[in-house]
Amino acid sequence: MITTIGFGLLAALLVGSALYVVRATNLVHSVLGLGVTLSITALLYALLEANFVAGVQVLLYVGGVVTLMIFGVMVTRRHDGIVVRSDSANEVRGLLGGGGIFVLLALSILESDLPSSPVGPAPSTASLASELLGPHVVAFEALSMLLLAAIVGAIVIARRRDFGEPRQDLVTRARAAREALRVEALRAEAEAPSPEPAASDAAEPPRADEALPSTDGSVPAQEASS
Amino acid sequence: MSALLRGFVYGLLVVNAVLLTSAVNIWFERKFSARMQSRVGPTRVGPLGLLQPFADVAKLMSKEDTVPASGNRVLFTAAPLLATVCALAAAAVVPFTPDVVAADLDVGVLWVLAVGSITTIAIFMAGWASNNKFALLGGMRSIAQAVSYEVPLVLSAMVPVVLSGTMSLSGIVTWQSEHLWIAAWPLIPGLPAFVIFFLAMTAEANRIPFDIPEAESELVAGVTTEYSGMKFALFYVGEYAHTLVGSAIASALFLGGWSGPMAATMPWLGLVYMVVKTLFLFFMITWVRWSLVRFRSDQLLAICWKWLVPISVGLVLVAALWVELVPGVH
Repeated sequence: MITTIGFGLLAALLVGSALYVVRATNLVHSVLGLGVTLSITALLYALLEANFVAGVQVLLYVGGVVTLMIFGVMVTRRHDGIVVRSDSANEVRGLLGGGGIFVLLALSILESDLPSSPVGPAPSTASLASELLGPHVVAFEALSMLLLAAIVGAIVIARRRDFGEPRQDLVTRARAAREALRVEALRAEAEAPSPEPAASDAAEPPRADEALPSTDGSVPAQEASS
Repeated sequence: MSALLRGFVYGLLVVNAVLLTSAVNIWFERKFSARMQSRVGPTRVGPLGLLQPFADVAKLMSKEDTVPASGNRVLFTAAPLLATVCALAAAAVVPFTPDVVAADLDVGVLWVLAVGSITTIAIFMAGWASNNKFALLGGMRSIAQAVSYEVPLVLSAMVPVVLSGTMSLSGIVTWQSEHLWIAAWPLIPGLPAFVIFFLAMTAEANRIPFDIPEAESELVAGVTTEYSGMKFALFYVGEYAHTLVGSAIASALFLGGWSGPMAATMPWLGLVYMVVKTLFLFFMITWVRWSLVRFRSDQLLAICWKWLVPISVGLVLVAALWVELVPGVH
């Protein structure tokens, strides 16, 4: 009885926080909401007496993935004032896609005879490990290859501009060109034999050194923010 | 119902013990640092200034509780609560004697690591909700630090788990009472793993030399810049509680917990051993804090990724080999 009430409460909270994740207009709120959603999922696992899975869920998803996502949000500076609300066309598409997956999963769960309560004593971590690395080792390794492929794919997508034609807006391109001209001029100035006395000789190389890293640093930063 | 009552009593006892010890430790640290710097420390309130922490609590309670006007009120209030609760929740699985454990989870080590990893989010929430550039910088540093140091923390905690073949903290302590302390036997994965766990735990608790999230010489007070009164006190106590509970867990994982001479016949002696080991580790952290200076951010990350992570991966492998090759480990 208590378990049923607890499950109902947790499920309601889970759906509510998941809706908050997709409806929040601020990306940081969204990510923190995702943390709540994943923690409640861990509680559901604990309710099914799968302590190990619950612990791993919190450690990897709440402590790892959400933390990394926050880090990503902060590094890309999407937190200051940019509203990431999706437009209406995306909302309809998202609803269709999400609803479709929900119907598919719900039907397959209803068709299968999965038990809704824990069956017997929970398997020990050791038996879980020997199952995972024994009969199911191929699936386990295939999953890790899939994750590797996903990481490589993410890097390729994120850095596409570095491989092909740079896709920049006019302002950024003009700024980069002006920067390049300035660097060129500074370099020529530094390399040219200076007719002025030794005092300015000592002063000039540091100026060029100072300018070069700053321009190197500023161009990728603009790309990242554009 | 008796399980609920038992949980309630244990929870009340453990939380109060941790908070009281944290308060006394704050007094001890002030006295100790004063002695190291040729000062006398607090002397006015009570004998030897012993009542100073309690006077501080009264002072903090009477302070105005401010929230930045442009900050996020909900997250700003939730952050100190979450930080303190996470630090205290880890104490639930600490075995004090063979019989006195608040919750003897079969995945106790995992529980400690999982709950500890949430603290990072609490610190980030505090930094972000303050809407203050110093607090935000502190929060970002905290995330970078925690993401890095979680890896060696988990890997070095795996060494006792692999050796003893269980994830329950009491199981690990029982294994050590039958063999030797993991920090002493087998020496090669044991002692370095203890050192790495201790370092990573200090980093997770944001203590000097790893306290760059609140580096007061650069970031005013880091994530706690905008906090006042009891909310600030919760962060402060949470940090001490985190360190204290971390010390208790390190001593259970590597220093044999309650095991020691005569502990099997006299359980209360086990409690004494456990407390002495925990307080010794806490004292070590205090000692380090007042002896060393803070690392730079890049040094901090280089230490973690170039040294601690590769070494701890190797240590887990050595532990697995040890279990495989040496008979009679399990």
